[in-house]
Amino acid sequence: MEFLGYERPDGSVGIRNHVVVISAGRCGNEMAATIADSVQGAVPVLHTHPCVRLKEDNERALRILAGIGSNANVAGAIVIGVGCENPPPAQIAEEIAKSKKPVAALAIMGSNGFQEVMDKGFETARHMVSQASQMQRKPFALSHLTLGVKCGASNATSGISGNAVTGQVFDRLIAEGGTAIFSETTEVIGATHLLAKRAINKEVARRLEEMVERMEARIKATGEDIRGSQPTRGNIAGGLTTIEEKSLGAFAKTGTSPLQGVLEHAEKPQGKGLYFMDGTAMTGELIGGEAAAGVQLHIYNLGGGLTSSFRCLPGWAGGLPMLPEVVIVSNPSRPRDSQERECFDIYADTIIDGKETVDQVADRAFQEIIAIASGKLTKQEMRSSYRELLVLYTTGPIL
Amino acid sequence: MKKRAMRISPDDNTATALNDIEVGESISLISKAGPVGEMSVKQAIPFGHKVAVVDIKKGEKILKYGEVIGLATQPISKGEHVHIHNVASALLPGGKEAK
Repeated sequence: MEFLGYERPDGSVGIRNHVVVISAGRCGNEMAATIADSVQGAVPVLHTHPCVRLKEDNERALRILAGIGSNANVAGAIVIGVGCENPPPAQIAEEIAKSKKPVAALAIMGSNGFQEVMDKGFETARHMVSQASQMQRKPFALSHLTLGVKCGASNATSGISGNAVTGQVFDRLIAEGGTAIFSETTEVIGATHLLAKRAINKEVARRLEEMVERMEARIKATGEDIRGSQPTRGNIAGGLTTIEEKSLGAFAKTGTSPLQGVLEHAEKPQGKGLYFMDGTAMTGELIGGEAAAGVQLHIYNLGGGLTSSFRCLPGWAGGLPMLPEVVIVSNPSRPRDSQERECFDIYADTIIDGKETVDQVADRAFQEIIAIASGKLTKQEMRSSYRELLVLYTTGPIL
Repeated sequence: MKKRAMRISPDDNTATALNDIEVGESISLISKAGPVGEMSVKQAIPFGHKVAVVDIKKGEKILKYGEVIGLATQPISKGEHVHIHNVASALLPGGKEAK
C-alpha cells in the first residue's frame, strides 16, 4: 500500500509541507510568531524553554527543537532568537542542517538590530515557502510512515474500542514495514513485566525496566508513591479490577507487535516497528518528543471522560501545527451529539453500540489515516489557528 | 438488539459488558470480528464490568486481552460478575483493597 508524500533530501517522506519558524527559547516566541503569522504557509514553534535550566534539560531542548526542524513534515526551518538562548539558534540550526533541508539561524546578537533580523526572517520565510510550494506529492510505501499515540479521558470504553482500533492500526502499519511509537512512562509503573515480555531481547527489556524505575524514583523523591493508588476508586467503579487490567487496557493501543526498542525522549528509532519512548502523560509535552523522534501523524484516543461533542483540543496538540493529530473517539454519542459527528476524525463508539466490529472500524481508521497522510486535512487542522505553547519535557529545576 | 459482552481474545475466560446487563438475561458474546455465541448471566453486570464466560476455579488465572489480569480468590461460575470481590492482582498482593 502507498500514500502520497513529500520526499526530503535525507530520504524521509513528509505528509505535510510546512516551513517552521522555531523560537530558540521563550524570548524569541514573539519574533517567531510574527514572522509565521505574516507568511502564508509558515507555522511557528513556540514554547516555554527558558535559559535558566541545567545541562540535561538544555540538551533535551536541543534534541526536541532540532528534531522538530528535522521532521519530514517540515520543508524548511528558520530558528530565531536573541542569540543568548541555551541552546542558541545557531546550534539548533546546525543540527537541523544534518537533514540537508533548507535552514536558517537568525539572532539579534551579532546583527544590526531587531528590525534587520525581522526583515531577514520575513524574506527567508517567503523564499522557503515559495520553494516548498513547488514540491509535488509522490507515491511512497507505507514503510515511510511513523505514527505516535496518546490516550486520554480514558474509561471502560477505551480498552475495547478506541485503543483496540489503534492497536490494529499499529499492527497493520508495522506489517507494511512502518513504525509506531508510544510513550507515557508513568503508565508502565507496576506493570513493566507485561510490556517487557514483548521486547525482542533482554537488552530492550532491561532498558525498559531502567527507564520505568528512573521515572518511579523521580516520583518517590517527592515523597509520593503512586503504586498503592492503582486502580483508582473511579477505575474500580468503572469495572477495572486490578492494576494489570488497567495497564493492559492502555497497552491495547500498541497492538501485538514485538517491542523493537526503547528510546529516550525525542530520540529517533534506528529501525522500523514498535518503539517505546520515555515521556509523560501530558500531550502538550509528549508531541514535541514524538515529532523529534520522526512521528508524522499523532493519534489521540479520546475516551469517555469527556463529552464527544467537546471539540476544543488545543491543550493537547495545538502547540505543534506541523504535526497533524487524528482523534479517535470511543465514547458513545448522546442523542444530542448525534448531529455533531463531524467534530473528530474517527468515531469508534459504533463498537460499543453494536453497529460495527473492531475489525471494521480498524479498516475504516487505517484508510482514513492513509488519506490524511496523503493530504486530507484533519478536523483539527481545519478548526482554528488558536495555538498553545509547546511544553518541553524537563526533569530538573528551573534555576 | 440483544445486550452484548466482548470477549476480546478467544482465550479469555471473561467478557466485558457493553451494556448494563440484568440478572438472568441472555446476552450475545462478541469478538473483535463479530458475534461468537450466547450465554445467560447469573448476576447483574454493569457496563464496562466483566462476566465469567466459563467456570473458573479458585486460584485460576483471570484472562482478558489474552493476558493474566489477576487470580480468582474463590470459585467463579459461568455468568457471574468478575471483580474485586473474587479477583486479586497477581502483581500487588492485597491490591484488591486499593482505595
